[in-house]
Amino acid sequence: MTCEQFQELLPEIGGGNRNPEYETHLRSCQECWGLVSDLNAISRQAPLLQASEEPGPQLWNAIESALRDEGLIHSARQQPVLVLKREPRWNLAWMLPAAASVLIVLGVLNYQGKIHSISTESAPALTTQSASVQGPVMAAFSVEDQKFLTAIAFRSPTLRAKYERGLRDVNAYIRDAQQSALSDPNDEEAQRYLMSAYDQKAMLYQMALDRFQ
Amino acid sequence: MDSKSRNATLIIGLTIAGMICAQAETRKEMHFKVGRHATVSITNQYGPISVRPAVGREVVVTAVLSSDKVEVDQSQRGSRVDIFSHLLANADATSGQVSYEVAVPADASIVLHASSGQLRAEKMRGDVDFEEATGDVDLRDFNGAHVHIKTLDGPVTLTNIQDGYVEVTSMGGDVMMNAVNGPMVQVNSVSGKIMYDGDFGAGGEYVLTSHTGDIEAQAPAYASIDVFARSVTGLVVNDFTLEPEHTPFAIKAGSAFAGTVNKAASKVKLLSFSGKIHLKKR
Repeated sequence: MTCEQFQELLPEIGGGNRNPEYETHLRSCQECWGLVSDLNAISRQAPLLQASEEPGPQLWNAIESALRDEGLIHSARQQPVLVLKREPRWNLAWMLPAAASVLIVLGVLNYQGKIHSISTESAPALTTQSASVQGPVMAAFSVEDQKFLTAIAFRSPTLRAKYERGLRDVNAYIRDAQQSALSDPNDEEAQRYLMSAYDQKAMLYQMALDRFQ
Repeated sequence: MDSKSRNATLIIGLTIAGMICAQAETRKEMHFKVGRHATVSITNQYGPISVRPAVGREVVVTAVLSSDKVEVDQSQRGSRVDIFSHLLANADATSGQVSYEVAVPADASIVLHASSGQLRAEKMRGDVDFEEATGDVDLRDFNGAHVHIKTLDGPVTLTNIQDGYVEVTSMGGDVMMNAVNGPMVQVNSVSGKIMYDGDFGAGGEYVLTSHTGDIEAQAPAYASIDVFARSVTGLVVNDFTLEPEHTPFAIKAGSAFAGTVNKAASKVKLLSFSGKIHLKKR
């Protein structure tokens, strides 16, 4: 069995309709095995997404627009062949992680918008005061970092200071690691060191997302 | 009111307060039958979690809830057990606290997420995935486990971790390792210190990286290592006599060293930007 044949039959396999031929190919082909593993992981996560609060139509429209901008989906009018061709069910499944990623980003942005509207509506004086106090501090961070800190402050004001300190330290780590890597581009250890610095920032963001999702 | 009456009033008051507290605290015990290589996941916002090996194939979770402002949600799907401290309205770090004592089969994998409070596990063989914001993480007597720890500024202590795949990422917390060895030991810290005391095993890769935190590694004379250490702006000190080896870049005395000791079975990399690096001979 070829990979193409196997992938055409994936919907049946996903439905539990397996036979020894599929299994033999699955065991021998790392690519198909990886694909099936990914699909299984998505299947496991899908009910969790379903159970979560249904986002509004605006969010879905924004996701659709983002996917179109990325070239991941096209309108039926522009690409009629996609409408006519019979696509296996699993082909759409790969877009789920991409949609989930966009969802998270848009969710944070959406959240940020809510925070802004809440704070401006309910406590304009406080906002002005906070902005004047936090202004120089927040200016040290990128726009993404500022949004990240604002989202944390909204959910857990006590943890915000920790994350802010962490973010400042990790940004300095990245800056220094970048300088080291640039000073000698052939230095493999300096490149790895830079990756370690980025790992730290990724961890910081991931911990916050895990905690506040 | 004389002093005797005042003392009596105080005692009665304290007794009543104690009774109220005792009433508010709730103890909940949960039992789950699981198969081999089960996974137990606990998410707890406030309070410690302690894990120890159980006899048999049962997971026993004992939760002490500090008030009625927190609930414990539980679910089991086959050999996967999920426990979640569910904070109710107006819960805070005191009223939302839950203390967990967990007994799991030694081959089970453990996933613990916490904001504060100590995470502690001992005598396990299964994999460990700990995520902790501010509390301590303490692991001891593990064998053949994958250990993944992420922490913001809580200290991490690893003791007697044999044949482990260890990966620790810490922002500000110190990381202390005593008798830790295995095929892969990686510690990445921003400002926390990294301390290693052990023989680096036989055949592993040890990568200790920090930004500003000091790195101190202590090994016996018989350690068999191929070591490379560098601090961009910090001091680098080495107590071992190294057999020189070729490096693809120039070694600057005082800020880097490289070489082998004995048969160079394990690879050791100590990297920092401004922290001091010290390879000590025990």
